[in-house]
Amino acid sequence: MPSALTFDCHAKCSSTKARASTLHLPHGSVPLPIFMPVATQASLKGLTYDQLRDTGCMLCLNNTYHLGLKPGQEVLDAVGGAHKLQGWDRNLLTDSGGFQMVSLLKLATVTEEGVRFLSPHDGSPMLLTPEHSISLQNSIGSDIIMQLDDVIATTSPDHARIKEATERSVRWLDRCIDAHKYPERQNLFCIIQGGLDLDLRKQCCEEMVARDTPGIAIGGLSGGEAKEEFCKVVDTCTGLLPENKPRYVMGVGYPEDIVVAVALGADMFDCVWPTRTARFGNAIVNSGTLNLRNQSYANDFTPIDEGCDCVCCRPTEKGGLGVTKAYIHHVTAKETVGAHLLTMHNVHYMLQLMGAVRQAILDDQYPAFVRRFFSNIYNGDKTKYPEWAVGALRGVGMDLLEN
Amino acid sequence: MDSELSLPHEMTFSTLGSAAPVLAPRVGKLALAGRQTISTPAHVPLTSRGAVPHISHDMVRKETAINSLYIGLEDFIERKHPAPLYNFPAAVHESPLGKFICAQDDTTTVLGARRFPAIPCPPNNTETSIAISTSVGFRQLEAHRYVEAVQKLKPDIAVGLADLVLGREPGLKRREKMVDRTHAYTRDALEQLYGKSVADEQRSQAKYFAPVLPLDNAQQTLYLHDLEGEFRDRISGLALYESASLSHIPKSLGSLPRLLLSEPSSPHEVLRGIALGADLLTVPFLQACSDAGIALDFAFPVPATVQNRGEPQPLGIDLWSSEYAKDSSPLVEACECYACRKHHRAYFNHLLAAKEMAAWALLQMHNHHVLDGLLAGVRESIQRGTFDDDVQVFNRAYKPELPDPTGDGPRLRGYQMPAAGPNQPRRMPKVYGRLDEVSQKFAESQSSVATPDTDAEGLERHGFAEKI
Repeated sequence: MPSALTFDCHAKCSSTKARASTLHLPHGSVPLPIFMPVATQASLKGLTYDQLRDTGCMLCLNNTYHLGLKPGQEVLDAVGGAHKLQGWDRNLLTDSGGFQMVSLLKLATVTEEGVRFLSPHDGSPMLLTPEHSISLQNSIGSDIIMQLDDVIATTSPDHARIKEATERSVRWLDRCIDAHKYPERQNLFCIIQGGLDLDLRKQCCEEMVARDTPGIAIGGLSGGEAKEEFCKVVDTCTGLLPENKPRYVMGVGYPEDIVVAVALGADMFDCVWPTRTARFGNAIVNSGTLNLRNQSYANDFTPIDEGCDCVCCRPTEKGGLGVTKAYIHHVTAKETVGAHLLTMHNVHYMLQLMGAVRQAILDDQYPAFVRRFFSNIYNGDKTKYPEWAVGALRGVGMDLLEN
Repeated sequence: MDSELSLPHEMTFSTLGSAAPVLAPRVGKLALAGRQTISTPAHVPLTSRGAVPHISHDMVRKETAINSLYIGLEDFIERKHPAPLYNFPAAVHESPLGKFICAQDDTTTVLGARRFPAIPCPPNNTETSIAISTSVGFRQLEAHRYVEAVQKLKPDIAVGLADLVLGREPGLKRREKMVDRTHAYTRDALEQLYGKSVADEQRSQAKYFAPVLPLDNAQQTLYLHDLEGEFRDRISGLALYESASLSHIPKSLGSLPRLLLSEPSSPHEVLRGIALGADLLTVPFLQACSDAGIALDFAFPVPATVQNRGEPQPLGIDLWSSEYAKDSSPLVEACECYACRKHHRAYFNHLLAAKEMAAWALLQMHNHHVLDGLLAGVRESIQRGTFDDDVQVFNRAYKPELPDPTGDGPRLRGYQMPAAGPNQPRRMPKVYGRLDEVSQKFAESQSSVATPDTDAEGLERHGFAEKI
């Protein structure tokens, strides 16, 4: 099928499956591997788009479900799409809306036609189909759009249902491809399903790769499955996916998950956690996460993260704001500004982490980078390293415990 | 923005032209050690917990002309003394207050005991303390603690403690008490900050603005007399709580800058304050409008295009209105603020409906810009000598009141609203209650994110799904 992107792979790690590449999209080039912040309702939680730009972000998310409800397709068409709506001239990715549909509306049921649900206001039965989702995403005009998939929790015990969902997702992909009006300017990504069943995942990969979409997502994860299982699925899928296409692991995640998933061959990640946790007063730093609401920070006049060069942490002599942990403690969860400041820091942290990941791959130093990264979090105590990470990395030819 | 800097430890206030010392509009320059010179009449932005509400510090620097901040001490002193900001490791010449709140070095900080507007406190003020409201409850702030705050936190300007009665009219006896207490607070503070017994290097560098009470002239004669005499060389300005007080200022105090801490209900009232000789003003309706989704839209002097429209124009537009849902024009045509340069009305309408914080941040930037424009116009108009005429044209060209808010604003915090009295309805609906299923379902059906606020037909129109 037609594609509106080009994918340049620059380097591959000589031991793990990590790769550094550049994804050229209609609204600019994105260095991969990348973390994409989530601007759910066409706004990144109080930040202006110049503030988001200053963090170096080239690609962020909007949610189709939310934009479909507000402002709705009619408004999106009238203003000329989501880029124009929110004044963002870099890239956008939208999900299909299926995930929110199923997780937020408890009364939804999935049939071959689409997702059936009762309108919460008047109780009328409604139907959301793959065609609706693509039509909305066409109106949104995002650079990357996702197929509607049949989402079920990976932890579901019902194997028959998982198999049905996987096969249905392939059939819905065909409907999405047919419904997609602008393949020359919007890139449709398929979503590999199959729960935690590696055989199902393999089948799904085969079927979907054959459809030749511009990019490929691995879906149905980040739903509370064990990390070992998560890693197995990612590793299995990336092993079957073509080298010349971007791979997106949906809804992941924490810095540790991302660093490991990169070693397993994934390129793109999104998660609301860094921005959500910022609003609750949590700062992401090299040693983990600091809960700045804790009383112990009330008199801590050091920057949020010493050495971080985000606008908050940079000292005033270097053009920064000189924000201290004590000040964040003072305003967090009380003033919207507290949320803005920490959101900027956390997004900046995630993007600079990805930048460092990429540079390490380009230098063919990724295993050393991963060791340093875990050592920082666990203060050098290898006994505390999570087993799932050690196991997953061993599977791709790297010993996390080596000195 | 004026970027001239003046010599350390000095404040000069010079009025330009030959205006009468009191009861006339005047332009001037307030120059403080190491701070941007403030051209008056000027607007002093209000802070909450040290932040300009909704605008993060980097945007304040890049996209606003904010060069002064009013800060309420009660926002910082919640638990035991000394509060964290006293411990800030500031250099000798730096203000721990300014550093703690990450204010820009050349921003003028104005410290008051209470937020502005302050919330009425149920406990009473006393001879030696005033009641304050913190985010953890009401308590007393002793007068000597406030003096200590001025000494240690080193604001540029300190507004003197006043015994004010908020939320109701004080009776005759209470008024006498107000004057006596304020008189005593002022005497003690001036002695402790600048008195002869204080060693030279210990003397406070903060400029003391003595309060003038919102009472009749006759009721505070003795106090005003002392301001003119005994206290005169220790005070650097006056703080007033209503524009009527501007007429009580004795001629001999006419050269002092006047900070009007009032709550004008419209730009017309701002102009009235300026007409009576206010130099520095607070404008709480600015944030109230931003919170309510209203973009201010007025200019001074009134542009010909607006004058030609005949009927009085609204002072702002309410972006909650669905008429802007597809409107791709800026908030105000030709406005150069960040919000108008980057976004259009349809986006604001969406952000407000989606309860996104960006709506308030962007509207704050716009509303600050509009007010700054008004004040710049005012200064030129006064210098040109056309102020009175320009005000009349303004009053005719615009409606007398700001638009009534229609939509919801951000969730208010306890320290931002008056305490609920006995037998009154809850201030906010219960969010968490018993964990029974019915209330949970109800909460879900109320959630703005999870559920559409339109019926099946609306969903169909939105292209979201189809009815079956």
